[in-house]
Amino acid sequence: MKTRITISLFAFVALAVFLIGAAKNDGYGSFKPKPLKLEIPKGWPKPTNNIFVNNKLTEEGFQLGRKLFYDGNLSSDGTTSCGSCHQQFAAFSTYDHDLSHGVNNTFTDRNAPALFNLAWSPLYHWDGGVNNIEVQPLNPITAKNEMGETLPNVLSKLKADTSYSRLFKAAFGDAAITSQRLLKALAQFTGSLVSSNSRYDKWKKGELKFNPIEEAGYDIYKTNCAVCHAEPLFTDYGFRNNGLSLNRFADIGRQKITGLASDSLKFKVPSLRNVQYSFPYMHDGRFNSLEAVLNYYISGIDHDQPMLDPILKKPIVLTEKQKQQLKYFLYTLTDTAFTKSKRFAPGQ
Amino acid sequence: MTKRYKSFIRYFFFIVGLLFSTIAFSQNEFIIKFVHTANGKRIIQNDSIYYTPGGEPYTISKLKYYVSNLDMNTARKSCFLIDAFGIDSFTVRPQIGLYAFLSFLLGVDSARNVSGAQDGALDPLNDMFWTWNSGYVMFKLEGNSDSSLADLHRIEHHIGGFAGTNYTMRRINLSLPKKMHANTGRHVITVEMNLDNYWRSVNNISISETPVIVTAGALAKRSADNFPQMFTIKSVE
Ligand code: HEC
Ligand code: HEC
Repeated sequence: MKTRITISLFAFVALAVFLIGAAKNDGYGSFKPKPLKLEIPKGWPKPTNNIFVNNKLTEEGFQLGRKLFYDGNLSSDGTTSCGSCHQQFAAFSTYDHDLSHGVNNTFTDRNAPALFNLAWSPLYHWDGGVNNIEVQPLNPITAKNEMGETLPNVLSKLKADTSYSRLFKAAFGDAAITSQRLLKALAQFTGSLVSSNSRYDKWKKGELKFNPIEEAGYDIYKTNCAVCHAEPLFTDYGFRNNGLSLNRFADIGRQKITGLASDSLKFKVPSLRNVQYSFPYMHDGRFNSLEAVLNYYISGIDHDQPMLDPILKKPIVLTEKQKQQLKYFLYTLTDTAFTKSKRFAPGQ
Repeated sequence: MTKRYKSFIRYFFFIVGLLFSTIAFSQNEFIIKFVHTANGKRIIQNDSIYYTPGGEPYTISKLKYYVSNLDMNTARKSCFLIDAFGIDSFTVRPQIGLYAFLSFLLGVDSARNVSGAQDGALDPLNDMFWTWNSGYVMFKLEGNSDSSLADLHRIEHHIGGFAGTNYTMRRINLSLPKKMHANTGRHVITVEMNLDNYWRSVNNISISETPVIVTAGALAKRSADNFPQMFTIKSVE
């Protein structure tokens, strides 16, 4: 008797498994994404807002994000991908451009920031107007002077491209292509861009020694720059006014978002990591070289700027030699393992 | 047949029965329907001219807003997008009980303004999301008016903002004309939104002064303060 029950139960379960299996078998195989973990480099703080809590990081999601990041079809005329403005060899900034090119011969009105360690950033864009990494791509996709496209168009182009259905299925379990999945996949790629392998990092870990020039430069950095460009991320992710004058676009920075006069001309403190490759500098790319930036901090700050950060009210005094030392220290923040990583490069 | 087998069968049917009865009972639902009026008439898209209480003429091309966090809904956090010229109703499953009020949030609560990419009513495809200053547009009214000095005599009121003192979500509490029993069956609650009170109730909003409101801040808040005055219960059945 008992065996009969067992057999019938077994048959029932087998049938159910078969039916479920048959329903799921659409030629793409079963849904078994490979989970990934965002590595937190030794000695770094935990990311402030865990961007992968509601967006499970997986190899498949990352790979889909990478393909999307380099796909010109996200723009209206097919020419401009995220990767055209965020170039890996320039630490994902636009190499040697104060402003970047959008579709139809347009220019952005801000400098394209380098992209890395975004998981540690509480807010995005120079003015912090973007509150979640997942919704950030809506800006470049829809901006007339960036990708000039609409979200419905992007989705229908992706749906028409058969190579995507397999990738969406692998990443999310079925082949549906939705705005939410597009945005989450992009965030899996951009959020995974971690740069933590510079000479500085190796020095911190005791794997190499700085030369005396770099050591001297580090001390100068500690004295003059470290409060805002704080270790180990080389930014405190604050919004600060470093005394730059209002530019030709009347860009008031953070004040545009908060409406507060006290936020006038405050911009997100950029990281100094990979600064060797991320020129031109500042929110509008107004300085072409580190030399120009240092000269600015030494003698260019507009001290009448009412919201000038109190730290910068005390003049920065550096000799020519100290400037060189500081520059050599900044070069130790260059991470070529990151700028050359195949994992972050366009796929084949 | 062994005793064990019999009890297994009995148990099996009990579970199946239970499942069916919960399905049957959960038929119990409230349909919340919105009707939109101006100058005492149901509004028509584009082709009809209305007047603000201040005497400014206008037409309406778009009227969309979020209704969320209904007290009575078992899925309390659900969010619905109402489109005066599209889907203007939704269904909720109330907990069994007696209801004297309809209470909802006009807008999207703060948490969901910072939660990244979402779907359903909150999908950015619905064109109710600000990109450059992330957050939802809670209420969107567009149209034209000879009183508008904006380009093409446009009216564009995109009312949003959720952070700090700039929040534009408003709780709407409406008492029902009779207590409603949520136990079985389907009830319809029809809510009227009267646009006249958008222009003039707590605050006076003039088209000539503010034809366009597309950022969070003081102007958006003035509009939001009028939200609670716009809604009344029209009927329950
Ligand atoms: C036309 C050039 C251009 C394109 C294309 C472009 N970006 Fe950007 N990106 C910029 C500029 C300029 C900014 C700075 C915007 C601002 O601060 O207002 C930026 C900022 C960002 C930031 C914020 C970084 C930070 O630290 O705050 C992220 C993330 C980003 N872009 C990702 C993307 C993704 C993903 C895509 C593709 C969907 C993309 N970008 C396409 C130019 C571009
Ligand atoms: C009071 C805070 C503060 C201090 C101190 C400070 N900075 Fe900055 N730094 C900023 C801010 C804010 C920006 C972005 C300003 C902008 O774009 O409007 C910035 C931008 C930069 C940039 C441009 C980076 C890029 O990718 O565009 C460099 C390089 C830089 N700082 C180097 C330094 C150095 C070197 C020191 C020390 C000598 C220093 N900063 C001290 C706040 C500070």
